[in-house]
Amino acid sequence: MPRAVKGSLIQCDPSIKALILKIDSDYRDIVFEELDDTHLLVDASKIPFIKSELNRILAKNTYNPLDDDDANAK
Amino acid sequence: MSDSLTEPGELFRTTINEYLENLPEAVHTQLYQSPETCLAIFRLLPSLAKFYIMTLLFQDSPVRSSDLSRWIKQPLSAGGNPDVISHRNPNRMYQSESIHRLKALNLLKENKKQITNPTTGRSIQVIAIHLNKSFRDSFRRAIAGTKSLEDTDVDMDSTNTPTPVLEEPHHTGGGLSNLFEDDEKITIPSLDKYCLTKWESILHFMVGSDTRETPSFDVLRLLRFSHLMELPSDRQKREDLDADYDPDFETGRVSYDSLKKMLITQNGFQFLLQPINSQIWAFLLQYLKISETRHMNPVEVLNFIFMLGSLELGEGYPISTLSQTQILMLKDLADYGLIYDPGNKQNKERKYYPTRLATSLTSESTSFNTPAAVMNKEIDNGTSESSLIIETNFKLYCYTTSPLQIAILNLFVHLKARFQNMVTGAITRESVRSALLNGITADQIINYLQSHAHAGMVKMAEEKLAKSMEYETSIGNTAALARLKLEVLPPTVVDQIKLWQLELDRIQAFKGYLYTEFANDMEFERL
Repeated sequence: MPRAVKGSLIQCDPSIKALILKIDSDYRDIVFEELDDTHLLVDASKIPFIKSELNRILAKNTYNPLDDDDANAK
Repeated sequence: MSDSLTEPGELFRTTINEYLENLPEAVHTQLYQSPETCLAIFRLLPSLAKFYIMTLLFQDSPVRSSDLSRWIKQPLSAGGNPDVISHRNPNRMYQSESIHRLKALNLLKENKKQITNPTTGRSIQVIAIHLNKSFRDSFRRAIAGTKSLEDTDVDMDSTNTPTPVLEEPHHTGGGLSNLFEDDEKITIPSLDKYCLTKWESILHFMVGSDTRETPSFDVLRLLRFSHLMELPSDRQKREDLDADYDPDFETGRVSYDSLKKMLITQNGFQFLLQPINSQIWAFLLQYLKISETRHMNPVEVLNFIFMLGSLELGEGYPISTLSQTQILMLKDLADYGLIYDPGNKQNKERKYYPTRLATSLTSESTSFNTPAAVMNKEIDNGTSESSLIIETNFKLYCYTTSPLQIAILNLFVHLKARFQNMVTGAITRESVRSALLNGITADQIINYLQSHAHAGMVKMAEEKLAKSMEYETSIGNTAALARLKLEVLPPTVVDQIKLWQLELDRIQAFKGYLYTEFANDMEFERL
């Protein structure tokens, strides 16, 4: 029997998709299904959470010269 | 926003023109009863339309439509044949656009006439054009400056309101000086200070800096209604995929306290960047729209606004000449800083004083009209000649003294130090991100930086452009030559701002349902 699942379709780059899958393995219950290289079906209510986690992880990679300046000045 | 406009000063002209054109004809006829309105509308028209109106003004008989084309000079087409007018002729497009605008405002009326040629006996149809009668009469009165005795217009009845004439500065209505015996001295500088503080408090509130007095409840409601600012709950609804964004402004009374917490929107930031004239007009347009929901007659509102534009600065006008609707407007206009209403006398003697903001409402160009020029030096914080320098390491230096300018910069720049006539800071990822999250687009930031760039930066960019143009022409590379354009800001900064914007859009989400585990193709087809 066909099944219908209510969720949200997410379109993104493969790299972001890999990051989301990693988030899913840490927290469970987020991704319902992987559709292909660039699309995922996820739980609609978790989307803000995904966005904030993504932001957090990506921010770890950025270099902020100002922080260095402020730290050195103090 | 619209791409066809090059300067933000044009923005208010087209929006108010659209609003006027969308009004029904009956409203137009009512509007044209008042000479001030006719004068103000005349000033909003493009030059060719003005020319047409002036020529048709004193002609009582209708004019053939073909004559309209003959009055303007047609340029020679490419083939050198003066009789051939190509379709792509820009003059022709300008002409047809002017005529179209005049017709939309119901200023030009056509009627078809049959003319029989006496010699051949054939009759041809000719389209004759004449000016809208009520407009013509009011406009004649406006220009000639006389009041006719049959004038039934309420505003013109008393001798207290001056007739608007084209030479404004030295004209005072008869008998006004006797009225001017107030206890408190309403001087022009005090009016200026008043309108400045009011208007700036609104702008400061939009930008989010602390002001001593937040604008009144009605002003905040208007800001929300015009999408210049939004409540945090509005923003959430807008970004939330599940709910359909449908702001209900009438149902659900919002309290003053919650309105105080509003955040600026993308439209709001665009609004902040405009010159003050267009800001006021945009505000008034929103006010017009909201007044329709409050059952106020839009004609009266428009009349009052246009009349304000032709009043004399520093003179008080009694309230007794205003209609009911216009009295209601007084309080709102005082909140925006357009008029000053002492309001402490009894009803009959109450007067209102238009401020400089009001008198410059319908002035054509702010450079010729001296009161407006003085005002602009004081008030024109939005687009003053403040100078901004950006280095390739993202550090920013801005020579300005106005707190409003600094507050706007604070929206997307991480300010570090403030000196007597300068502020320094840097454009950081965090600062740009917070601006982007507020709805400001990267393009708006870049446009703002470009328009306020220091003259030295512009000169440097022009020299660089000249050099590269010389180089490209010397090696004969026409393709690259065509692509060259003036880059005032360092490309690193521009690109980085755009990249930061892209960073926020890494995933796109869509609502949907997934159907899986189909038994075979048949079921898939059926679904």
